[in-house]
Amino acid sequence: MAYAYLFKYIIIGDTGVGKSCLLLQFTDKRFQPVHDLTIGVEFGARMITIDGKQIKLQIWDTAGQESFRSITRSYYRGAAGALLVYDITRRDTFNHLTTWLEDARQHSNSNMVIMLIGNKSDLESRREVKKEEGEAFAREHGLIFMETSAKTASNVEEAFINTAKEIYEKIQEGVFDINNEANGIKIGPQHPTTNSTLPSSQGGQHAGGGCC
Amino acid sequence: MNFLRGVMGGQTTGPQPTEAETIQKLCDRVASSTLLEDRRDAVRALKSLSKKYRMEVGVQSMDHLINILQTDRTDSEILGYALDTLYNVISNDEEEEQDESEDENAQKQGDDAGTKFTEKFLQDPEHITLLLTLLEEFDFHVRWPCVKLLTALLKNQGIQVQGIVLVSPMGVSRLMDLLADSREVIRNDGLLLLQQLTKGNAAIQKIVAFENAFERLLDIITEEGSSDGGIVVEDCLLLLVNLLKNNSSNQNFFKEGSYIQRMKPWFEVGEDNSGWSAQKVTNLHLMLQLVRLMVSPVNSPGATASSQKCMYQCGLLQQLCTILMATGVPADILTETINTVSEVIRGSQVNQDYFASVNAPSNPPRPAIVVLLMSMVNERQPFVLRCAVLYCFQCFLYKNQKGQGEIVATLLPSTIDANSISAGQLLCGGLFSPDSLSNWCAAVALAHALQDNLTQKEQLLRVQLATSLGKPPVSLLQQCTNILSQGSKVQTRVGLLMLLCTWISNCPIAVTHFLHNQDNVPFLTAQISENLGEDERLVQGLCALLLGICVYYNDNSLENYTKEKLKQLIEKRIGKENFIEKLGFITKHELYSRAALKPQPVFLSPEQMLFDHEFTRLVKELEGLITKAVHKSSEEEKKEEEVKKTLEQHDNIVTQYKELIREQDAQIQELKEKVASMTTQTEQLQATVSQQQSQIQQHKDQYNILKLKLGKENQSQSNNQGDTQVNGLQTEELSQLREQLEELRRQQTLLQTQLSEKDAVIDSLKSATQAAEGPAGGSDNTELLQELEALKNQVQSHLAEIGHLKAERQELQRRAEAASSDTAPPSDNSSDATNAELQSRLAAQTSETEKLKEGRSELEKQLASATSTVAILQTEKSKLQTEVQESKKEQDDLLMLLADQDQKIHSLKQRLKDLGETVEDEDDIDARDQTSDEEDEDED
Ligand SMILES: Nc1nc2c(ncn2[C@@H]2O[C@H](COP(=O)(O)OP(=O)(O)O)[C@@H](O)[C@H]2O)c(=O)[nH]1
Ligand SMILES: [Mg+2]
Repeated sequence: MAYAYLFKYIIIGDTGVGKSCLLLQFTDKRFQPVHDLTIGVEFGARMITIDGKQIKLQIWDTAGQESFRSITRSYYRGAAGALLVYDITRRDTFNHLTTWLEDARQHSNSNMVIMLIGNKSDLESRREVKKEEGEAFAREHGLIFMETSAKTASNVEEAFINTAKEIYEKIQEGVFDINNEANGIKIGPQHPTTNSTLPSSQGGQHAGGGCC
Repeated sequence: MNFLRGVMGGQTTGPQPTEAETIQKLCDRVASSTLLEDRRDAVRALKSLSKKYRMEVGVQSMDHLINILQTDRTDSEILGYALDTLYNVISNDEEEEQDESEDENAQKQGDDAGTKFTEKFLQDPEHITLLLTLLEEFDFHVRWPCVKLLTALLKNQGIQVQGIVLVSPMGVSRLMDLLADSREVIRNDGLLLLQQLTKGNAAIQKIVAFENAFERLLDIITEEGSSDGGIVVEDCLLLLVNLLKNNSSNQNFFKEGSYIQRMKPWFEVGEDNSGWSAQKVTNLHLMLQLVRLMVSPVNSPGATASSQKCMYQCGLLQQLCTILMATGVPADILTETINTVSEVIRGSQVNQDYFASVNAPSNPPRPAIVVLLMSMVNERQPFVLRCAVLYCFQCFLYKNQKGQGEIVATLLPSTIDANSISAGQLLCGGLFSPDSLSNWCAAVALAHALQDNLTQKEQLLRVQLATSLGKPPVSLLQQCTNILSQGSKVQTRVGLLMLLCTWISNCPIAVTHFLHNQDNVPFLTAQISENLGEDERLVQGLCALLLGICVYYNDNSLENYTKEKLKQLIEKRIGKENFIEKLGFITKHELYSRAALKPQPVFLSPEQMLFDHEFTRLVKELEGLITKAVHKSSEEEKKEEEVKKTLEQHDNIVTQYKELIREQDAQIQELKEKVASMTTQTEQLQATVSQQQSQIQQHKDQYNILKLKLGKENQSQSNNQGDTQVNGLQTEELSQLREQLEELRRQQTLLQTQLSEKDAVIDSLKSATQAAEGPAGGSDNTELLQELEALKNQVQSHLAEIGHLKAERQELQRRAEAASSDTAPPSDNSSDATNAELQSRLAAQTSETEKLKEGRSELEKQLASATSTVAILQTEKSKLQTEVQESKKEQDDLLMLLADQDQKIHSLKQRLKDLGETVEDEDDIDARDQTSDEEDEDED
């Protein structure tokens, strides 16, 4: 499918907070309660629409364990967006956010959009981290914030899409250098220059960007 | 350093002492000279000696050279020399060229040296990081040797170097930048470096892909002319293979990045395809390999299916099919293209349908399938090509009922088209040709047309063959057994037996057809019982399998060959144990497990063409069943029949059970939620109580103050003969207060009764929940109850306090009354002085009374607020009461449900017991279910 832009995302955060489930919910619209531990990094992709434009999201789901940290670092620089996830039922995962954030800020390009996600909002009775705390952390560090549930799919779409919106706005503002692919942004094969409102499916077949 | 001396000692042409000394001197200069030029000259000299005197230079100079790399960063010339020297010492490549004529021993020695020097270099991982930093140096004389050195290090100690690069955050990224270098030499050597780097390391492969490797490599391939390009294209393709092989994440990325579409133009071949260069053939081989990696049968089914879909939609499959039909394509490319098309269509209905519609550009046009089958049964075609066609045919039929029907139809009397060659004709021709390979391929191909397809198994029974003029036609089934008994080649018989087994298995009508011929069973028993040589073992095993299928899938419609009779026959003629042993010959065959590995028929030589992959699956499925069936007596069988039935019933019961458990699960969940909400209610209550407590404390304090004041007043009043009017007023106020107090007391009593009612409710609830929830909800519940208990205690103590206050209040009242009675009879002794005194006293008293009044009104206010607090409390209590009432009702409902279910489970259990099944105690099931439920949650 032809796209106007391609954004690269990474998903980071402690192990077990639901990163893989969030990705699966977003790409496949399903929840898998018993999930394999992610070894290294796994890839997923989906198309979304923002402002009438097709945007392809390529997402790398990373392993949260300490032993994979150094591998994860290789992905920061080339990503336009990062979902930093903690588990609202486990305070330790919230406490580790600072470390994650430092790591991300140190190795990423300065424009990377970071979305803070408090996952497992369906487990209200076991909540250990208040929503206000998440909000405060996000405000303090200049992040966007949402609470999600990979189980009920609540806010999952929004989390990925709002991140993309933020990146998109930054592009419009000219903050991102879209010609440098190292920033995790790519312009589509036949980027519509002015008449961007035309449905992009028309040009799709000719451009050789056929099917999937 | 011992090992190096050892290696050096082995060197036959050692350097003259002067050379060793020279190297030593040069190293000293590198290490100690303060002049850059001087150091540079020394390093250059070392470089020039490093090929001829590799050992000496390596042993003596490595540390100094690394030091130069660290300290002389600003002089690219000296960096270049140092890197070159290190490369010469570490790399084994140069050696290979030189030593080509020399003996293997020297070669091995060189390799050893490379490995040892690499180990030495890697002693500090920082050295690799250092090289990665030097890569940023744009100067050709630095970057190029740096790339080569890294490649050599990777070749010698891949895993270790990979590990170091992996953990340096910018490492892979810097190496990827080499592909963008405008200097071809660097870009090309960068490709070689990345090939080494990605070998067998999935984590690095993913990072390389993340760094846009697919995009860049595909661009280079296009720029270099795709398959017509040179070795650079080959190198790019090799790197792509590295990135995609066994890496599902990268395969997914490749597909999602729409790179499959970019492979299509690779396969655009011209009209005339003669005279392809060796490079083009190599390139195309790799390109086909890449396509196959994306649709390999070993990938996850979903991944392969979506790639297959994509390959059809973007026209890649169509492009590959044109190569199949093009002229002049070299045979090995054609073979590999057939294998590729096979895997692109395997199990994908749309792609299979498309493939069935492809026509060869002949006159008249023939279906591609027919043209391919012609090659399969043609002795003159290369063996690998014939295997590829068989694979293609198998993949076309895999999970393709429609295709199976079409193939079988070409054999049926009603649909035979006499004017053109059909697939069916070719297969029959192959089946009965004198070429055993054709026999085998045709038999296996036909078996695939019947795989898991009862309809076609029955249809094929209708096929009749005209053997020779004048003789009556023979059924295809019979013709197969006829050929078997004629003692043809092993390959032929194995093929036919596999066809027969596939055909009649799971098809009782076919079994009956087979048994109907009086010759077949005696032939099989003879084959199995005889003591034959090694070569015949497989045939014996297959005969046993065929006979076993006749037993297992027998519907007892032939009186002579019922299940029971056949079993008796086996026991009498062959012996049960002997039969089982012969059956085991199949899986024990040395080629069996190889075929079981993957669907593609690959054989080292034509003689090894014995097993078909799908057939191995059939054997796996049937071996156990047949062994059991043969061992069992008829009584046992009958029993088994019954058991089967009861099992089915049990299954139903178990399903019901499961349903029940599921329901109970939901109920438990509900209960838990209720407990949670009750907990919050308790918390609210607690808050109210503590609020109440503090208010009471306030009241107490105020009462104390009041008490003090009253005490004072009483004192002054008892000293004086006060004004009755004033005091009367005071009494009135007091009685008002008393009334209010009385009211308060009534309210308190009311509250108390309400509280005790609530207590009772909670008590009953407690026992109800405990009974209902068992161990799971218990803890929550006790907690709750404890909280309620505490609450109760608090309220109790509040009540006590209130009682206490009340007593004090009464005491105060009493004293106040006493005071007023004291002042009752005024004495009259009218003397001015006394009067004046009295008046002034009265005035003082009046003002005091005034003060007292103020105090009273304050007290009044306080009382009012206390009253409203009580009112609030009261409403809260009643709210709580209704809530408790509600939850009690819900609990009751739940209890009803649970009891209901218990009853059901009980009766089911009883039924199971009646059926003779050992039934697990329901509590066990329950308990286990709950624990697993909790474990699930714990994992979250
Ligand atoms: N209840 C609930 N469980 C979740 C949610 N997201 C993930 N989980 C569970 O949390 C566990 C870890 O999830 P996973 O995606 O593998 O975490 P990762 O290590 O961050 O990738 C799994 O058992 C999931 O079923 C959620 O939103 N709600
Ligand atoms: Mg994971």
